[in-house]
Amino acid sequence: MSEQRTSSGGRIGGEGRDAAACLKLANDSHRSGNGPAAIGWLKRVTQFGDDFVSWQSAASLLARVRETHTPPAKRTVKVALLGSYTTAQMASLLPLAALAFDMDLEVYEGPYGAYRQEIINSIGPLYEADPDFVVIAVHEGEVAFPQIGGKPEDLDAELSRWTSLWDILKQRVSARIIQHNIAIRPDSPIGHVAASLEGSRYRMLQDLNSRLGLEAGERVAILDCERLASLIGKRRWFDDRYWYFSKQGVSLEALPLLVRHTAALIAAELGLTRKCVVVDLDNTLWGGVIGEDDLSGIRLGDGPHGEAFVAFQEYLLELKRRGILLAVCSKNNEMDARLPFERHPDMRIKLDDVAVFLANWAPKPENLTTIAERLNIGLDALVFVDDDPVEREIVRLSLPEVAVIRLPDDPAYYVRAVSESLLFEARLFTQEDAQRTEQYRARAQIAELESSASTLEEFYTSLEMRAEIAPIDGFHLPRVVQLIGKTNQFNLTTRRHSRATVEAFLADQEYVHLYLKLRDRFADHGLVGVLIARRIGDLLDIDTWLLSCRAIGRTAEAAMLGGLVVEAQMRGCTRLRGTYIPTTKNAVVSDLFSRFGFRLVEEQARKTVWECDVAALDPSGSQFIERVVGRDDAEVA
Amino acid sequence: MTLKSHDRLEELFRRVFNDYALVLRDRMTAADVEGWDSIAHINLMFSIEQEFGIDFERDEFARFTDIGDLKRLLEAKLAQ
Repeated sequence: MSEQRTSSGGRIGGEGRDAAACLKLANDSHRSGNGPAAIGWLKRVTQFGDDFVSWQSAASLLARVRETHTPPAKRTVKVALLGSYTTAQMASLLPLAALAFDMDLEVYEGPYGAYRQEIINSIGPLYEADPDFVVIAVHEGEVAFPQIGGKPEDLDAELSRWTSLWDILKQRVSARIIQHNIAIRPDSPIGHVAASLEGSRYRMLQDLNSRLGLEAGERVAILDCERLASLIGKRRWFDDRYWYFSKQGVSLEALPLLVRHTAALIAAELGLTRKCVVVDLDNTLWGGVIGEDDLSGIRLGDGPHGEAFVAFQEYLLELKRRGILLAVCSKNNEMDARLPFERHPDMRIKLDDVAVFLANWAPKPENLTTIAERLNIGLDALVFVDDDPVEREIVRLSLPEVAVIRLPDDPAYYVRAVSESLLFEARLFTQEDAQRTEQYRARAQIAELESSASTLEEFYTSLEMRAEIAPIDGFHLPRVVQLIGKTNQFNLTTRRHSRATVEAFLADQEYVHLYLKLRDRFADHGLVGVLIARRIGDLLDIDTWLLSCRAIGRTAEAAMLGGLVVEAQMRGCTRLRGTYIPTTKNAVVSDLFSRFGFRLVEEQARKTVWECDVAALDPSGSQFIERVVGRDDAEVA
Repeated sequence: MTLKSHDRLEELFRRVFNDYALVLRDRMTAADVEGWDSIAHINLMFSIEQEFGIDFERDEFARFTDIGDLKRLLEAKLAQ
């Protein structure tokens, strides 16, 4: 059943097992009460391919396991699924698909076909469910265009039917909206003429999809069903028998693909996209073994194999341009491994593109751990790409947080394998994303400098740091929301405020809010810090205080606190209050308030509350960071 | 129905209903299998189509009354 899909590129999955075996193991684990193991095997089921039968079975077992065990997850997500067709299977598969993206996903499924009523009724289960995402899953039958003779105003009317639903949702919930666009049926009664005839249903539907994309804006993400239907083939996407049997608007066969993309889109919206792709070299970036075949013997450039490797390198460079870090982990002598990068004319990736380059004979899990440490990111931000199934399985078993892509045998399908993993879906594309490699390379250089400076003070001074601290404005809002959504380590409260909530803070006079941008002599790190506090009488209560992991250990927190002290003085506040809410990731700031001289005023199991007199704090911030305004370096403090 | 087809069908039922102790008997009906509701029925029929490479027609979809019936239907379709 699933064999037919092996040619369509490898996917992350187990080696030497199949989906049925993983299902059986999941059942055994569940029966013996080992929920975490059951969940691990269920996650693997999804990684063999998009076979509905296995997925459905895994999903119904997951529902049972979740009654007693919560899947390990970076985020818990509540999704409201509103459809124009039967969505029961989609609702059941979504939590399963979410496992691969480190989410624990819960679904509220609206009544059959009643998406419009659910949205319009101001009271009802949709709004009681208070979802993080609302998915509007609709099929072509919902659109009332004639086969020929449609008019521009028909298009406008249809468009506003959708945007008005979005507007209602935007007013009533802070959830983000995921709108399916229209998968267009391939059986137009007028054939090819439909493509050129103005007012044909076929063209009107294409225009509608295009207009939906234009109108989507910040709060709405379009799930491109038209593209997915083309990807799997429209004969497979549409199955009229099942439409007549039970109103399946999308064939069951296509559902795993659709829910996998839905989960990937939600993960991207939440900033859970993986940050770094770690590649092997021999038979991954080029054909053959450099240590044996020499520079002229490896396959790269000419011939069908050589061209496939070049194409794969170019794809990886595109990821890098988008802000995904590139690292190398290869069992090789370092000299040999570097040779193609330095000397091969058809090598596309250069050493400068690689944030961390490890070529040695240590076990790969060890090297992956080193890569994560050097880049100061979690193992759960890594994706491992290696042609060797044994290495893949070792990594999978010893570092379950690392996502492992199962490369197919033929390098021609490498690009597809990485692309279809969906681990690098993007949502908000910010300037910071594009600069990231530069910044992380700079970090690695700083790690060297750190060991050469004799004291920490000398080290900080040598960095020549400059910070811009200013109130958050609309221009910086996307990056601020992104950081609030994904910062785990230096994050005192880990409150995942939505964009709408942050906008409300900005509009509220009682809120003080600051961002921090940091530069040093190595790199411009961009916007890395956010601090939001609420004024309560003569007290400023810190709601959110976070620093991107690349700015930890630079005294930037002192600069931010200094900024807050200035704000407090201007507003006549005499006390600061801070809250620390421990998570599994933020131990690095557990003593932050006490380091700044705050005293503990309240201690509970899940949080500690601290206070300090403003007069006792230093408004000048960090002695190692010069405060500047904007880009003109004018000194203000 | 051949023994082999019976075994394949049984294995499929075990997967679909996550019950690896399930034994397929001819007199069994939907009421005897935990979780066999109307949605599970659609999923099951799709799974059988995939497993055996057949297409049920509309009136065949809900026609069988018990597993014995289903097996006879399947046998007829496989013989076509």
